[in-house]
Amino acid sequence: MTILGIASLTLHEMIRRRLILVAAILTVVVALLTGFAFHALATKLYHGHPLPHVQVLAIAAQLLTLVAYMFSLVFALGGAFLAAPALAGDVDTGLLLPMLTRPVRRVDIVLGKFLGLAVFLSVYAFGCGLLEFAIVRATTGYWPPHPFVALGYLSGVAIVMVAATLLFASRLSMVASGIASVVLYGLAWIVGVASDIGANAHIQAMVDAGTISQLLLPSDAFWRTAVYHLEPAALIAGLHGNAPFMVATPPPLAMLLWSFGWIVVVVAAACWSFATRDF
Amino acid sequence: MRPACADLAIDVAHLAKSYGAIDAVSDVSLRIARGETFGFLGPNGAGKTTSVKMLLGLTRPTGGGGTLLGRPLGDRRARAKVGYLPELFRYHDWMTAREELTFHAGLAEVPYADRARNIDEILDLVGLSRRANDRIGTYSKGMQQRVGIGVALLGSPEIVFLDEPTSALDPVGRRDVREMVRALKARGTSVFLNSHLLSEVEQTCDRIAIVDRGRIVAAGSIADVVGGSLGVRLRLGVLDDAALALLRRYGTPVPAGDWQTIAGVPRESIPALVRELAAAGVEIFAVEPLTTTLEQRFMEVMQA
Repeated sequence: MTILGIASLTLHEMIRRRLILVAAILTVVVALLTGFAFHALATKLYHGHPLPHVQVLAIAAQLLTLVAYMFSLVFALGGAFLAAPALAGDVDTGLLLPMLTRPVRRVDIVLGKFLGLAVFLSVYAFGCGLLEFAIVRATTGYWPPHPFVALGYLSGVAIVMVAATLLFASRLSMVASGIASVVLYGLAWIVGVASDIGANAHIQAMVDAGTISQLLLPSDAFWRTAVYHLEPAALIAGLHGNAPFMVATPPPLAMLLWSFGWIVVVVAAACWSFATRDF
Repeated sequence: MRPACADLAIDVAHLAKSYGAIDAVSDVSLRIARGETFGFLGPNGAGKTTSVKMLLGLTRPTGGGGTLLGRPLGDRRARAKVGYLPELFRYHDWMTAREELTFHAGLAEVPYADRARNIDEILDLVGLSRRANDRIGTYSKGMQQRVGIGVALLGSPEIVFLDEPTSALDPVGRRDVREMVRALKARGTSVFLNSHLLSEVEQTCDRIAIVDRGRIVAAGSIADVVGGSLGVRLRLGVLDDAALALLRRYGTPVPAGDWQTIAGVPRESIPALVRELAAAGVEIFAVEPLTTTLEQRFMEVMQA
């Protein structure tokens, strides 16, 4: 019951601080701006003729993965910058002290924060993802093959970041935990790109570095799986290996299972770390 | 008389907390009876707040241990009967005072049917009824401290820890807190008062402990800690030889103008002295028992 109470408190705080309102307004603005771009793509005349529809669809599919990357970055940074103040911020300011002297388990506080943030970011990911897909469809006629699966994995990027940040925030200050998880996220992404380059150039060490990076912070594995489910089969067939915003081969099932297990283990570690610390 | 174990709100022995090579608390032993108002005094950095946090289970002791309300330190069931106002208080600035109290009532497991009444009573008690539906972020520091005191009093706790409860309050607020502490005592609630304001402690507490550099350096009732009477100072009319002889029976009178000071007269002997002087026909204009104030004693202990 306490877990749901803390999750509800976390969601209420985001509503009352107008975070959800601001995020919704900015998302609509971004979606409309990208809508203009997709509309231009569909209606632009080349040498007096519009692009063939199949070509419009192909370009729209590639552009959509770029837009999806922009959103995944927002979800990842959102996860870090919401989770750090939610736990470490409340410790730093002393807000949690009177709560911790109540008959509540510290574990429930961490789980409640995790649940509240995971629900918010997932709803946000599905909301803005479906808005964007609808705009792309209205302007170009393109609709990704597995939109809900893709959005589920994009939510996974945010949830990974929430879990990692809560682990840091269980012991570190708000600023330190936020920065630590964002640095790790950036590192995981760039190592993933280097891994693709290594795979194309047959440099095994770079491929291994990418695998290790995904094992340590599986945000990149979720991102790649999400992109794969946004790409039409024809686009995947034409790819020669992975590229920064294109995925020919998604992470194997074992990596996905690891990633889900990673979330469970990291949240459990955050709970243990928070439950055993001094205030 | 030392209270029996079952009557103890706090029973801890040799509590210690070290952070690496630094000893925040070296040796704190306390036995505080249920219903007692206890003052915990000490200079900044003496280990008062760390001691309170160990009692509340917020910090794990590195040595010693004991019980709070008969249960091990940090026990969840004991925490259901505890109220706490931290020194550095902070509450959800986006909530109203009523919402904050409602949220804490849920955490404190106040029965649902009693919550609205309990919250209204507390808002009235801490003087926030008129601003109960305003956001805490719009409150002054003193009003936020009143919210904190209200949070600490939710659900009829058996012991309330108040860490510097008047640090942000004006004189009216301080008087209100003193009255609240007395009201808590009247209904049998133990109060653990951490305060720098010695006069406040002197006016409200049954017993005190002075802590310095992580150790308790003096403890007992205020009279025990402060020490006995230092004597009496009297402003008297004309003294004849018989009257001077009477005074000498109580000590050596030292004259200064109309005043006679006699050192070492026990407090309980002063009424008899006054009666005898009156019976001897000496005019008595003023009688001042001489005592050490808690502040004087505190400074002596700190300088020792």
